[in-house]
Amino acid sequence: MALHGYSPKPQALDAVFAALADPTRRAILSRLATGEASVNELAAPFEMSQPAVSKHLKVLERAGLIERDIDKQRRPARLKAEPMAAAVSWLEEFRAFWSSSLDQLDGLLHELKQAEKKGADND
Amino acid sequence: MTEVPTYVLERVFDAPRALVWRTFTEPELLSRWYGPNVETIVHRLDVKPGGLWLNEMKWGGNSNYERVEYTEVEPPARLVWLHSVADADWNIATNPMMADWPRVLLTTVTLEEDDSGRTTMRLTWVPHEASAAELACFASALEGLDKGWGAGMALLEELLAELQADAV
Repeated sequence: MALHGYSPKPQALDAVFAALADPTRRAILSRLATGEASVNELAAPFEMSQPAVSKHLKVLERAGLIERDIDKQRRPARLKAEPMAAAVSWLEEFRAFWSSSLDQLDGLLHELKQAEKKGADND
Repeated sequence: MTEVPTYVLERVFDAPRALVWRTFTEPELLSRWYGPNVETIVHRLDVKPGGLWLNEMKWGGNSNYERVEYTEVEPPARLVWLHSVADADWNIATNPMMADWPRVLLTTVTLEEDDSGRTTMRLTWVPHEASAAELACFASALEGLDKGWGAGMALLEELLAELQADAV
């Protein structure tokens, strides 16, 4: 099966794994799993400077794991992974449905061709 | 974002185009390949603009219903239809698995035959008259697949479960 335009890009997946490899970033995701938070709110428990937290947030944002409001002053970060994970897994099922169906179609076409050939030979 | 999210699937069949066309338009052939590991029952198949394909897929004690309305029929090259999940009375329904999944997907099938008698089939899906939420859901799924999340899915789900367990 060839899938065009939306085949997995290994370098993007690398970005996800690299983002998850750091314990501070995992702790930030864990905090965001309970709800959105501003840089200030995120920095407090880690005893980290705001710029250091901002840097981690940029890595998570680039990997597509979180999103941030651009309009609001406090620019809260929120977890993006879960809704996307649900949508992706449904699309995966959709793709698997069609892919298996088209495998069956391949077999059926082969059968029909054989039958036509037999019919022609008997004529 | 002005571009409508589009999902594309391409397949080459070692069969002439006229034969592939028949498998999409004759009920006894369509029911033999459409739907893996289910019993496919074609309740109606009327392949003409405005015509309906009413399809039931049975497995175990369950049934899934789909309602398809054809909008363009150009034998043996092009078939366009509106694809929806349906209830048992064939009314268009919300996807029970994903509330924001587009209720109607505009599905286009094109068939091209090459010199050696092989047929390239191209299937595309785009959300039809979709709400902002439906467009966002479909775009998000495509974007996630694009990032390779399909491959890393199990790992990611595990991690999210772990994170949430930690957060409690």
